[in-house]
Amino acid sequence: MNSLELTLAAVTFRQANRVPVMPQVFGHAATFAGAALEDYIKDGEVLASCQLTAQKYYGYDVVFSVMDVNVETEAIGSVLKYNRNDYATIERYALSVKDDFDRLELPDPEKAGRMPQMLKALKIMKRYLNNTVPIIGCVLGPMTLATQLLGMEEALFLAVDHPERFMQLLDYTTNVLIRFGTTQLKAGAHLPVVFEPSASPAVVPHQFFREFELPQLTKLFTALKKAGAVFNWLHIAGPTQPILPYYQQIGVDIANIDYYVSANEAIQLLGDVCVSGNIKPLDFVETSAAEIEKISKKLIDDFETRGGLILSSGCEIPPEAKAENIAALVGAVQ
Amino acid sequence: MNDLLLRDFVTHLLEGDCSQAVKEAERLISSGYTAEQLVRNGIEPAAETLNEKCTSVQFNLLEIMLFGRAATEVMKVLYPGGSAVDSNKGTLLLATMEGDVHDLGKNITKMVLTCKGYRIIDCGKNCCISQLIDMAVKENPFAVGVSGLISSVVPKVRQIRQAMDEQGLSQVKIIAGGGTLKQLTPEQLNVDFVAETAFDVDRFLIEILGGENK
Repeated sequence: MNSLELTLAAVTFRQANRVPVMPQVFGHAATFAGAALEDYIKDGEVLASCQLTAQKYYGYDVVFSVMDVNVETEAIGSVLKYNRNDYATIERYALSVKDDFDRLELPDPEKAGRMPQMLKALKIMKRYLNNTVPIIGCVLGPMTLATQLLGMEEALFLAVDHPERFMQLLDYTTNVLIRFGTTQLKAGAHLPVVFEPSASPAVVPHQFFREFELPQLTKLFTALKKAGAVFNWLHIAGPTQPILPYYQQIGVDIANIDYYVSANEAIQLLGDVCVSGNIKPLDFVETSAAEIEKISKKLIDDFETRGGLILSSGCEIPPEAKAENIAALVGAVQ
Repeated sequence: MNDLLLRDFVTHLLEGDCSQAVKEAERLISSGYTAEQLVRNGIEPAAETLNEKCTSVQFNLLEIMLFGRAATEVMKVLYPGGSAVDSNKGTLLLATMEGDVHDLGKNITKMVLTCKGYRIIDCGKNCCISQLIDMAVKENPFAVGVSGLISSVVPKVRQIRQAMDEQGLSQVKIIAGGGTLKQLTPEQLNVDFVAETAFDVDRFLIEILGGENK
């Protein structure tokens, strides 16, 4: 079975000859290939080249067209500060709470900011991999884009003080993400992973998630599936136990969990949703290959009866991770 | 000490109802309460209640932010000139380390610890070790809290202890927190404590102060 077939088997709980392994290698691909992080997050050709080089070396089952969490907000008008060997940060947010959210225009993924470069990376990787390895694009979740447009504090206070206006903003962000995600699918992504850290129970209570976020995520995932997403992947970090029971209703096929959620909790709370996770990202910098192998094998054992596991880190593997630790993760599934 | 007549005030603070908390504070002041009584018997117990509620599963930023906003607005009413109640709990430095501009966690910690009666010196974000040490020499804190969301700050955090020791600041405790740093142990970071939440910081401070500030 090739990597794509293995992944589809895991998502649909079918028998396969091994567990797929998808370390969340984004900026590490640049470090590994000797490219500057700034070039990696700005240039689709560099991104694709680094991703393909890292995937070929390690032999894992995925490539990602993921730049950072600022692609959409920059395309809408936020001003970023770029760093040569670090991720970009937001210097000025695109929106203020006084803006009329009904009058905002959707950015064109073919033209706005770095969106075209992400699409370019997808096209290159599709051409190279010939439908054998999952090609994963990326969009933010509606809530995270709202916080990236206004700033976290402004966005959360808006949600509490003027919930109807916050819902307007979420309607807008969801439409941005549907358009961007759909364009990624046309460019060659099998799916875009939806990064939604701002909806974590570490940030907002689960009732907030249910009332504000659940309808928007449902709309987003329904649209992505309709546009051809092979499956839906939701990535929320932190102590997600209170919101995991909503995932099936939302249409999630793969749930990312991180180290706050144990294997047993994920199995009990997620029903028939495939799990991706959950090794501590910093373990790839701080521990040894032997330790990564041990943790990985324990995780595989925990899911052996149930199935539906993609072996991965709980969140992004840091750019400075040790290569032998990522190799140990990949080796653990053999 | 808890004051039953301040129950509504505490409730409004805990619900993050800014305008009601301010109205209640104004009413209490006009009925004879002092600003310090409202801080000691209203804001501090409210912060303590949040502390007890904040287990790792229940903790969420929004609730803390709403409390913080309400408490901040009340403080403006209580101390319109900006001179807050004197702290007898000592001074802390807080900083988001060089290379990191994600300072929301630090700001939440600052708010919580201010409400608990500590004097906080905020060294801001993207703070290099030399700035931190200079400020420590100047302000003589009993502890320093550093936060980091991104992994590139880890090597810098590891250097703080030695830099402090070289300046004769060995007695100053070092506390780390934030998305990346809390994945590591105190030994791995060469610090005294790694906090999961702002309230963890307070618990550690109470412990090192010998529990006298409970």
